This record gives sequence, structure tokens and C-alpha cells, in this order.
Amino acid sequence: MSKRYFLVKAISERPLSGERFEVALVSSVRRLFGEFGLARIHPKVVRFDATNSEAIIACNKEGAEDLQAAIGLISDTSETTITAMTMHVSGTIKGLRRKQRF
Amino acid sequence: MAELLRLAGYSAVALTVPTGLLRDRLSALRRLFEDEGIQTILRVDLSANSREDLLRLLRRFRNAYDIVAVKCMNQAVAPVACRDRRVDLVFFDPRNSRVKFGHPLASLLCGALEFNLISTFLGETKGEIFSRIAKEAAIAREHRSRVVLSSGCVSPTMVRSPPQISGIAAAIGLSREQSSRGVSETPLSIIKRNLERRSREYVEEGVKLVMPKAR
Repeated sequence: MSKRYFLVKAISERPLSGERFEVALVSSVRRLFGEFGLARIHPKVVRFDATNSEAIIACNKEGAEDLQAAIGLISDTSETTITAMTMHVSGTIKGLRRKQRF
Repeated sequence: MAELLRLAGYSAVALTVPTGLLRDRLSALRRLFEDEGIQTILRVDLSANSREDLLRLLRRFRNAYDIVAVKCMNQAVAPVACRDRRVDLVFFDPRNSRVKFGHPLASLLCGALEFNLISTFLGETKGEIFSRIAKEAAIAREHRSRVVLSSGCVSPTMVRSPPQISGIAAAIGLSREQSSRGVSETPLSIIKRNLERRSREYVEEGVKLVMPKAR
């Protein structure tokens, strides 16, 4: 199944870990689209750069638009308030790298 | 906030300012955004409890602001706001059960319907609100109403990029075309029309002064 990759910048008051970010992402998808939607979108944090707070998220191509919405509605983890902003979307990780050095 | 908006890819921002804000403070506020290369547009949100109040407010503030939005508080005000050509945007509070956007209002709508998506959906949101927004979106889609999507943000943590807002709008049931136009063409056309209206050359709809070129 073909994929879409999102380059996402997370802005938070405190330093954020990849695990925390993934938990927040999955709960946002689940809240908005439910368990079935979560399975259809299948979001996964491929890489997380803690120094720049940037993440590469993979998802199924069919769920790309829904993931865009779910990323927009990530609001907070248990520790801190976060703002997640999609910077680029591409069909390959290499494509994202071309758009922005990761 | 201005830096975040630039990062998110915005070129212009509509600042909702209180009607009594001093000019000095206003220009300082505008400078904050313009230093980051973001155009500022002044917007006022009017809320009235009766038809007469709304018409009075429109007479008073229409020419002072670039964008006039009306928050529909009850069923008496909503048809007037939807029908009046001076109103650019109408929006409904999803928590207010006294008024809702239905088919009669959609057929009257002259301006555009605004959805404040981020401020509505961020944090704890009840299923009723999701369902109500989805119903309004379905009606807007059926009537092909002009839709403006905004974040309605009051703090930097609520800033989201236009594709994200468009994605949320698609998730609530707006068409792909409406949701992408809602963050691009529709607000831009409103701004362009109103800036033209407020220019010195503007006389009336379709008439403007054209100065002959000096030889």
C-alpha cells in the first residue's frame, strides 16, 4: 500500500520526546476518526528530531487528508501544550529531505 | 504569534480588534505583524440581540473596518445578517442552541459563512458540537454557500497552517473545493473587494475614479 510522509514541526513549551508526540498524534486521530479511522490512516512517527522538534510521520495514502486534520487538532500531551504544524507532504522521505534538510 | 503565522505560510491576517482600541495601540499591533511580512486586515465582530441593534452597529462600523463579521446570537438577528450586503461574514456559536444555520439562512446568505475550526475543536469537545458543525457543513455544501475557514485563534498555540484547516473542513463534510477555497480564494476576494471599496477612487459598485495620466 502506498504511503504519504509528513514533515511536522512541533512547537511546545517543554522539550518533547518522540514517544510523547506519537501518543498525542494517535489519540488525536482516535478522537477524530475512531478506531476504524486509526486503522485506515495507520499513522506512524518514522523519525523525530528532538533538537528541532521536527517529525516525519508516515500514513496510508488514502488517509493523508484525514491525518492532516488530526495533526491540526493535536493540542496537548500529559505534560505540555503543543502545536503541530505540517510543513511539507511527500510520497517519499527523500522528497521531504529535498524540501527541507532533516 | 507573527513568526508562527509566517512559518505556517500565511501572507495576511485578519485582526479582530475591539471597537474602542486606540489608534496608537492599533498601529503598534499592525507593525508587529508587518515586520514579519504579514499583511494585516482589520476586522470587527459584531454581536447584537435585535435587528435594530445590528443595523445601528453596521451603520456605525461598516466604513471603519476592512471586514465586518456578525456573530448570530438569535433567530431574529441571523436572517438580517445573512441578507445584508454590508456583512462579509456570518458565524454561529456551536454552543448556542438558540440559533443554527439552516436551509432558510443558507438561501438568504449574501456574504460567506465562517467556521472557526480550531477554537471549536481544540481541547474537550462534545459529540453534539461535532454533529452540529457537520450538519451546518452539509447545508453549506448543498447550497454551495461561500465558506471561510478560520482558526479563530486567541493564542499562538492555536495557530495552524492552511492545509491543516482545509483538512479539518474536509473531515467535517465540506467539499474538497469549498475547503480549499475557504482558506485561499474566498477570504482573499473579500479582502480585495473591501480594500477597493475603502479606497479613495471608489464611488459605488462598478464605478471608480480613474485619473488621466499626466503628460
